[in-house]
Amino acid sequence: MKQVEIIRNKSKFFIVSLAVIAVGIVFYLINGVQLDIQFSGGTRIMIETNSEVDSNKAEQLVEQALGKSVTAQTQKTNNPAAGDEIIYMLRLDIASEETLTAEERDLVIDIISENFDVKEGGNQEMLSVEPSIGRETLLNGLKALLIASVLIILYVTWRFSAIHGFAAAITAIIALFHDILITLALYPVVRFPLGEVFITAALTIIGYSLNASIIVFDRIRENTRLMKKNTLDEIVNTSINQSFLRTINTTVTTLLTIVTLYVFASVNNISSLMEFSLPLIVGFTAGAYSSLFIAGPLWFIWRKGAMAKSLKNV
Amino acid sequence: MKKYGILKLVAVILVIAVCAVLAYNEVKNNNIRTGIDIRGGIYAVLEPDVDKSSFTAEEIDKGLETAKTILGKRLDARNIFDRSINIDSVNDRIIIEIPWAAGETNFNPQEQLNELGKTALLTFQEVDENKVDENGWFLPTGKIVIQGTQVKDAVPAYDEQSGWVVALELDESGAEAFAEATGRLIGKRIAIFMDDQFISAPIVNQKIEGGKAIITGQANATEAAELAATIRSGALPFRLVATKVDSVSPQLGEGAMNVAVKAGIVGFILVCLFMLLVYRLPGFIASVGLFGLAVLTILFVAWTKISITLPGIGGIILAIGMGVDANCVIYERIKEELRAGKTLRSAIDQGFNRAFTAVLDSNVTTLITAVVLYILGSGPIKGFAMTLGIGVVISFVIAITATRLMLQGVTEINVLRNKWLYGVK
Repeated sequence: MKQVEIIRNKSKFFIVSLAVIAVGIVFYLINGVQLDIQFSGGTRIMIETNSEVDSNKAEQLVEQALGKSVTAQTQKTNNPAAGDEIIYMLRLDIASEETLTAEERDLVIDIISENFDVKEGGNQEMLSVEPSIGRETLLNGLKALLIASVLIILYVTWRFSAIHGFAAAITAIIALFHDILITLALYPVVRFPLGEVFITAALTIIGYSLNASIIVFDRIRENTRLMKKNTLDEIVNTSINQSFLRTINTTVTTLLTIVTLYVFASVNNISSLMEFSLPLIVGFTAGAYSSLFIAGPLWFIWRKGAMAKSLKNV
Repeated sequence: MKKYGILKLVAVILVIAVCAVLAYNEVKNNNIRTGIDIRGGIYAVLEPDVDKSSFTAEEIDKGLETAKTILGKRLDARNIFDRSINIDSVNDRIIIEIPWAAGETNFNPQEQLNELGKTALLTFQEVDENKVDENGWFLPTGKIVIQGTQVKDAVPAYDEQSGWVVALELDESGAEAFAEATGRLIGKRIAIFMDDQFISAPIVNQKIEGGKAIITGQANATEAAELAATIRSGALPFRLVATKVDSVSPQLGEGAMNVAVKAGIVGFILVCLFMLLVYRLPGFIASVGLFGLAVLTILFVAWTKISITLPGIGGIILAIGMGVDANCVIYERIKEELRAGKTLRSAIDQGFNRAFTAVLDSNVTTLITAVVLYILGSGPIKGFAMTLGIGVVISFVIAITATRLMLQGVTEINVLRNKWLYGVK
């Protein structure tokens, strides 16, 4: 079978990744990223209405009454009990250092009820998060990730000691950061709020991508034994090529499930599931890409650099 | 020897079939617990409203333990029995989940929680035998003997003579008041109340001096421990405040769940079709294995009564993805061995053996992530880590045992030995 020249073209693959991240940065500068109440702290009130309401008007009314900045949005969701019936929700996000008091919340509900066609006995939801715990959720997530990374580095360094496991571990972790950056680049483009769903999606992507990188390193480990006469770039290139089909097939199957979830979610207007599945689609694709075109080539550059150094010392 | 392999194949398929029937029953009987984000209800985080640095870790832990008891009692008083109260000892907080109860009207969750988090007012009161409610429980008389703050400690203890008891230790002013009251009330009862809820009413046997007393008549260790914790609650050093409250309407969460389940079923069928197309016979066997993974995950969730949340579904998806992956890695290896001219039997053995390290390493690293996230993560992250961890273990075991046994079994059936069936010319 003809091999794809991955090591020779490695710079091109790096450039593609950097370009995608750059697009994300440009969109970030234009659109910014909205931190969800779950992280920033504040109060979210959701009220069901009988028809779609004017969110700008709602925003102004509530802002005037509270003297706090308010973001209003309308959401449509299909009723799970009756397929063609649509549930209209008005969502008010009041991000502030203090969560709303009971009086303030009653005031908001009164104002909305007076000015709009609120459904009697309809759905109402409320989320109130103190800024301290919101920040903590974010920090705890990051802390857990950091500790997990250190343990993974130790494990990979040990298991892959035959091929300089530390280099493998670090390049695998770099590939993970790459995947998270690419996934993050999606947020300002589609204007999703950055909330707890992102943390879950990021963790799923990391687990998946790490898995794929390890498959590649496993091949390098094996081929280092089997292909003693070949050069390092031949070994790495062959290993990546041998992992190709497996990575493509796994990615296709996983994407089949996630794309199905996304399609179902968008047909039924379930925003929570859309906000979960779209980042996964992007992240899984990035994960497959990085394990084939980033982790292996980076390991190659690292090892080659190290070898050149040790030659000089002799 | 030959028939042995086919027997194993049949046995594995039978086990999966039995599990599938069991799982179907669990789902039909609604034994799958779902989290607040799906079934609707209140999720709240309560934290001590104090500067934590002025307490020792043990004081905080003991305080939270006591607070948990109080919260349970207060929810009992509101007839809310379906709830979960957990102490997150890593972050020193209490997490309460109260599922939405059918027929409940909209109420104000934040108010309720602030009410729940108040410092408990524990009192020992004189009893008026005529003032009882419909359950025969004493009503508070307002004639307070001592207050919870005068109780230095209350611990469960075992006494040769009286069985399980609660040992009380009072402070100086408490001891004085108690001695006076018990001297006066011999043969009568003193009732213990939390807020206005009746807890217990032991009879005074003798005048108690020196501030040390025992309450006898506890049925067992649990009951004694519970009463002791309730009495200690009067000395709870802090008030709890709700730092996060999430009230979710049941209709919307249920809608998301229905859609996710439907998408899961369709996605699963697509994955099986893909595996069948790419790997042919082994692909079919992988599909049987994945089906086994799905039913075992359902059984595990049903039997351990853990709650499935939306992030939890993410964990299951990743675990199934890893299960598929193990199969892809193994089958690509088998194909390579077949192309290299090996016999079917040895290609399968070699394929499994050589793929083993890759599958093991990728599963162990994922398990490391899951365990760390489970220990350190809060709320949604814990749910994700839980299902992921379980799923990875189940999928690893299935990929290296059940799938292998099945594949070895089919190779002993002559019509299924054609190499085309294994994706090689």
